[in-house]
Amino acid sequence: MHATMSAVWNRVRAVARVATRAVPAVPLALALALAFALAAQPAQAATVEEAQLAELERVRAEIGSQVQLSAYDLVDELVLGWLQDPVFQAPTPVVLAGVSVPVGLGTGMQALLENHIAAVLTQNPTTNVQLVHCPECTAVVVHSGPEGTVVSRGVDNPAVLSRLGQDTGRHALFIDVEAEGAWLVLRARITQLTPELPIVWSHTLATSASTPALLRQPTALKSAAEAREEYLDALHDRGPLTIPVRFVIRTYDRPYTEVGIAPPPFLWLQTGVELGSTDARTWTSSLMMGYSFIPQAYQGVMGQVRVSRLITGKVRSLTRPDLYGFFGGAAISVWGPATASFRDEVLTADELIADLEGDGPRTTFGTFQVGLELRVGNRIGLSGFLETIPDLTYSPNMGEYLFIAGVSFQTIGTEVTFCF
Amino acid sequence: MIFWLSLLILPYKGAQDPAPGLLRSKRASRRLECARVSPETGSQSYPGQIEMARPRGDYVERSVMICRERLLRPDLRAPQDEAILSDLDAHAVAMASAAEALRPDLGERTWLVETHYPSAQVSAKVAFATKNALVRQGLKVSDRTPVLAVGDVEVITRMDPESAYPVACRRYAETGALGPDQALLAVVSLDPRETILHAGLCDRGTWSWLH
Repeated sequence: MHATMSAVWNRVRAVARVATRAVPAVPLALALALAFALAAQPAQAATVEEAQLAELERVRAEIGSQVQLSAYDLVDELVLGWLQDPVFQAPTPVVLAGVSVPVGLGTGMQALLENHIAAVLTQNPTTNVQLVHCPECTAVVVHSGPEGTVVSRGVDNPAVLSRLGQDTGRHALFIDVEAEGAWLVLRARITQLTPELPIVWSHTLATSASTPALLRQPTALKSAAEAREEYLDALHDRGPLTIPVRFVIRTYDRPYTEVGIAPPPFLWLQTGVELGSTDARTWTSSLMMGYSFIPQAYQGVMGQVRVSRLITGKVRSLTRPDLYGFFGGAAISVWGPATASFRDEVLTADELIADLEGDGPRTTFGTFQVGLELRVGNRIGLSGFLETIPDLTYSPNMGEYLFIAGVSFQTIGTEVTFCF
Repeated sequence: MIFWLSLLILPYKGAQDPAPGLLRSKRASRRLECARVSPETGSQSYPGQIEMARPRGDYVERSVMICRERLLRPDLRAPQDEAILSDLDAHAVAMASAAEALRPDLGERTWLVETHYPSAQVSAKVAFATKNALVRQGLKVSDRTPVLAVGDVEVITRMDPESAYPVACRRYAETGALGPDQALLAVVSLDPRETILHAGLCDRGTWSWLH
């Protein structure tokens, strides 16, 4: 439609230039604009490489696809305004006389916008705006009379429309979308197609490029204020408090010596509470209790505290995964035959026999951990961590996965978290 | 290891400075439109992202710099078009306000708008914005465009702008293209190198510059 309009105006200008020699009346604006502006314009290099043109088209297509959703939002808001405060008290035929898109963008977006306007208006008949087809209105018409010959579009010359059999008194809807800096601005006006062409209604709406498109459904339009409320509700959805349930696997590094025996991997089930400092959940802290049980091998209980900091951005995202860095500590108590390795000495046969005859080995120790957690929608999380057990730093039953700044990390763990 | 991890994490932890530097090129900075606002205003615009000052203060002066990326890349449009279109709303409101403020006696007239700009596409947008701004001022506005006879146009287009507009205005009145109950607001770009628009008023055959 945009190309069509441009083509129409180019035709008008071309016809007007020819007509100035043959017909007695033309719009002065066209003539003056051409005469003054083109005369004063410096000569510009017209050589543009094909590759540059291709790049320009690629950039236009990329931008057009981003701008399109924002433009849809503005159209939705426009129609919502008509739903809440109709321009007409009864269903009124309106000609979609012109839709223009930002200068520099292609024609495809114009067709998409036209279709969207028609779709939304069709699905919301209570706006009282009935789109009607009127090819004479948008076509270029030439009218000769005693007062002169005028070349114009049908909507600009209602007298001609009446001669062509169209009802006078119809209305024409003009919509213009323009990129003004970081803002996308939609302007709309409705003109009555009578000889004086009075503008009966006009409105201007703006949105920001950094505002995500609201992607509303055409049958359930929302105002910007309602959409904001929805956004805030989403931010506040469950408040700052969540209850995570976490499945954890801890593995311990093999000892460097032949005499040491490494502990088996431990499977933990944890639950507790997690508290965000603000709704943005930039900082969160959690207190978790855990239980581990493998028949005939081991049992364990633990308590764990952890503080997490959002790394990717200042606020948790509703759409993209968030990455948190965390550190914390835990107190773990384990018992059972497989827990004998949590000792700071080499296991001997006598000790193993004594464990079997008595209550079995039981150990309690503290740990500190650092790690990263990928959280999706504050619902599920996947994390990995390194853990150090200070009491067992020199244990011959355990090696170290990593040694940083004098700290031995003997444990690597992974977790899957579900938040409720 | 810690050093490399710090390098990875630190850029995300600090405030993202819109100024050109290590992490942002000059070209990227030029694409931003920034405005400094109070934390309260920033929190209204970006709830959850910007913390408001505590009720009893937090012992630091805080302000919020909100930067938005321009929709269109630089050089996608002609420089003059970009300058005019970037501030189109401001231009339109300024001209409509000038028309209403400088000539309050024309409040009952029907206003017509005419634009003289090198690009027909931009010209149409300027006219659209100006008409909307006039309607917003509570004025009666018409979509009609006054026309002149070809003889007038032949003469007027050979004159310099300072003379051409008053003559065209007089001819509008004499030929009846512009009635006594109508006023014409002409939005004009006099030089393709300037990034402002001028506004002229034609009232009953008398031309005057408003803006």
